[in-house]
Amino acid sequence: MPRTSSDLLQGTLDLLILKTLSLGPMHGWGVSQRIQQVSHDVLRVNQGSLYPSLHRLEDQGLIRAEWGTSDNNRRAKFYELTADGRRHLTRETTVWRDYAWAVHRILALA
Amino acid sequence: MLNARQLRRRLRALFNRGAVERELDDELRFHLDMETEMHMRNGMSPDDAKRAAERQFGGVARIRDDARDVRGVSLFEDLGRDLRMAVRNLRRTPGFAAIAVLTLALGIGANSAIFSVVNGVILKPLPYPRPNQLVMITSQFNLQGMHFDQFWVSPPEYLEFRERNHVFQDVGAYVTSAANIGASGQPVRVTTAFVTASLFPVLGVAPRMGRTFTLDETLLKAAPVVVLSSEIWQSAFGGNASILGKQVDINGVERTVIGVMPPGFDVHDQGVKIWLPLLLDPADRTSNRGAHYLYLIGRLKPEVSLTQARADLETLLAQWPAADGANPNATPGQPGFVHTPNTVKHRLRFDDLQADVVGSAGTTLWALQAAVALVLLIACANLANLLLMRAESRHKELSVRVALGAGQGRLVRQFIAEGMVLSAAGAVVGLALAYWGVHALAAASAGSIPRATDVGIDPRVLVATLCMAVGTGLVFGLAPMLHLAPATIGTTLRDGGSRTTANAARHRVRRALVVAEMALAVMLVIGSGLLIRSLWNLTRVDAGFDRANLTTFSITLPGATYSDGVRVAGFWQRLTSRLATIPGVTRVAAMSGLPPQRQVNANDTQFEGIVPTKDGPLQNIDYYQYVTPGYLKTMGIPLVAGRSFTDGDAADAPPVAMINEAAAKRFYPNQNPVGRRIRSNGDTIWLTIVGVVKDVKQGGVDAKTGTELYYDVPQMPRETGFAPTSMNIVLRSSLPPSTLASSIRGIVNSLDAALPVVGLRSMDDVFADSVGRARFLTMLLSIFAAVALVLAAIGIYGVLAYAVTERRREIGIRMALGASRDGVLAMVLRQRVGLAAVGIGLGLAGAVGATRLAKSLLFGVGTTDPLTFTCVAAFMVAVAVVACVVLARRATRVDPLVALRSE
Repeated sequence: MPRTSSDLLQGTLDLLILKTLSLGPMHGWGVSQRIQQVSHDVLRVNQGSLYPSLHRLEDQGLIRAEWGTSDNNRRAKFYELTADGRRHLTRETTVWRDYAWAVHRILALA
Repeated sequence: MLNARQLRRRLRALFNRGAVERELDDELRFHLDMETEMHMRNGMSPDDAKRAAERQFGGVARIRDDARDVRGVSLFEDLGRDLRMAVRNLRRTPGFAAIAVLTLALGIGANSAIFSVVNGVILKPLPYPRPNQLVMITSQFNLQGMHFDQFWVSPPEYLEFRERNHVFQDVGAYVTSAANIGASGQPVRVTTAFVTASLFPVLGVAPRMGRTFTLDETLLKAAPVVVLSSEIWQSAFGGNASILGKQVDINGVERTVIGVMPPGFDVHDQGVKIWLPLLLDPADRTSNRGAHYLYLIGRLKPEVSLTQARADLETLLAQWPAADGANPNATPGQPGFVHTPNTVKHRLRFDDLQADVVGSAGTTLWALQAAVALVLLIACANLANLLLMRAESRHKELSVRVALGAGQGRLVRQFIAEGMVLSAAGAVVGLALAYWGVHALAAASAGSIPRATDVGIDPRVLVATLCMAVGTGLVFGLAPMLHLAPATIGTTLRDGGSRTTANAARHRVRRALVVAEMALAVMLVIGSGLLIRSLWNLTRVDAGFDRANLTTFSITLPGATYSDGVRVAGFWQRLTSRLATIPGVTRVAAMSGLPPQRQVNANDTQFEGIVPTKDGPLQNIDYYQYVTPGYLKTMGIPLVAGRSFTDGDAADAPPVAMINEAAAKRFYPNQNPVGRRIRSNGDTIWLTIVGVVKDVKQGGVDAKTGTELYYDVPQMPRETGFAPTSMNIVLRSSLPPSTLASSIRGIVNSLDAALPVVGLRSMDDVFADSVGRARFLTMLLSIFAAVALVLAAIGIYGVLAYAVTERRREIGIRMALGASRDGVLAMVLRQRVGLAAVGIGLGLAGAVGATRLAKSLLFGVGTTDPLTFTCVAAFMVAVAVVACVVLARRATRVDPLVALRSE
């Protein structure tokens, strides 16, 4: 049973989007496909959460958007990380790792 | 906090909404297409791929909403969208929208119009600097047989008060009068005021040109000067700046113009157009102590309140007699008696100037404001009901929207938006109505309301209108929510919209609204009923003379050219005899005071052979009336005893007088006054009373009749060297004033071309004016009551109609099962008339409380007049029953089969 991102904490989805975009500019559909592939279909991003998240991140200045042309020559909106977003990603990645490690420890030992 | 970038994004989203929306749509469509392509690559047919993509995608609308919320401008955007949707919804039901907007426009417009008057008259400060420091100072008399609550002040009292008080910066005095001015050919009569030099600084207004009076110019022998109002300067002197220093003719006296006051400057709303110096000798404290003819206005020191000033007044009054060396036990005429104010019999009183100007008109205006607010409440109740029903018919639509994911908040916003659109449209149309209404009110009040020139639509009225619009909008918007609780919305879909579930709460709300409407309407109708009876009583008061077929006007002879009493009396004799030659005129007379709106004279008078005692009536006559011999016959006043004045009295016959019945009863109880002698205080010649006449309502149809003393004008110069220079002429003729006007003007003109004919009208009009405010109030309140009644009737009918429609199936079943038409009719009536009865009962109870507050507006009718209450109750029951019967008949005419199928 694939998990959808509605089960993910909002901050987690933001983190996944930022990480995905750190590889380079990408449109919304690409982001969702990428997350799905890399997580081996464990995580599926619901579009209803994806676009609000993208717009929120854009609003916060962590990513910026630009209209460009997709691989199949279609007009698409590409998102890319800003300097702020890169810093934010680094910070949040550390926070997440600490958190995951803590949860993992408790589940393993407690 | 928003940074600059975010602000830019939000502004773009707000103002370039179309582009932003398009981009979002493009982005989402791209996603959908990519998804579809992927499915096709995986081997799906194009159609299946598209469906799968859409399924996966979820509600596009919802995503759009969420993405938009992120932009943070959803509040403004939603507002705009809600308003657009509201307009769309309302346009789908144009009938409903039109009725709602019109009802609101009437309600809000009437409220704005009345509030303009309340605002202009009561709330707006007087047009002087720091007007709350200004105090009206008048005197009071509390003597045996003589009670005056607001009387004038005598010159020595004014001079002493000005010197001795500790609370006023300064005090000014004035007395108003009328003068003829003959500036530009056509003579006109205008209101004048004789004022002390101190009055202008007290009021705090400087002239727009020139200067005001110096103290020297108000001394007895001063050269005559005048200060003009802007209005007269413009209308009579062409607004020419060179007027200063010029001579103008005021009442026959050449006066030097020294100043022009700014536009609108006035004192106590008297409409003063010419300002003249009040000549007083500041050193004379002995003569005229009892001649009360001045009004005083004082300006309080900044740190003194009116309450503190009143406390200071007590001390002043207590010390006053001693300060003037008066013997407190002496009665008038005895040695040591000095007329002074004191703490008991002759007090001074302080009133806030604005409150004094507004006077009793305040009660009238607040009563109107309350009434018109009730009308708006009824209109609101009606519309709330309409919206409730409309909401019910939209129940399914709303349920669908909830099921599709519309949030509860969105629905609330939608309803409020509809309410706001309605009330905003209502307010706009209402303001237009109010603009027109204010003019209509000004015309209808016809001088019965003070400060009429201050009435208009100003920012405060606009703000009040805005508040009304928002308030009513919220009420309507939220009313439908009363029964659109989330639970009920959810269930409607399931029960298929069938009406069988008795929605008790919803019905309770509607019933309460109908009861409230009914109660408010009853209160208004009772109020207007009582006022109509009062007005009827006022117009039916026996004024003591036959006022039909009387035409009247007034003439003032300038004292400068008519200084000789014999010449004055001769003029009145010539004028009356010439006027009597007009065809169609049967009798003519002249008299000094025109009933029924005279100011009281309250002149000290001596009665030969009657020794004044402490317990006896004060020897004072309320009204002196100087008349020509034809007076009684022209006016149609019955003679009670003795004889009337005759032409023979004018010659060398002994001086004569007449008194009225009230004076005869007071001063000659159980005696015959005819043959007794009487004279004014200070006169030397005794007058013999030759007749007693019926009482005339001199001081108001709603006031007690006063004592009257009649002088024979032709005899007066011989007795006193004086004859009245201002007289009211009455002509008895069946011809209307308009027909007589040219003949009258021709005759007056032929006698003296400089004399204006003033106030030419019928005596009926004079009386109508005297009850003008009562008529104004009654007319408006009756209109409001009628509107309230119609609204309430519509409300009841509407609610009942809806209830009956809802029960069509039930009624159909009952009739199909054999219930008789009458039986069904009775059932509907029983349930619904009871509702109206509750409303009527509550309204009657409310009216008992409300009319008590308006007691001072009624005349000759109690606040709980049984006749009015019974008639109104019966009338309202009839209205309710008719509404119910009409409906019930319609309901029972239904074919049971049709009714059963209709759901």
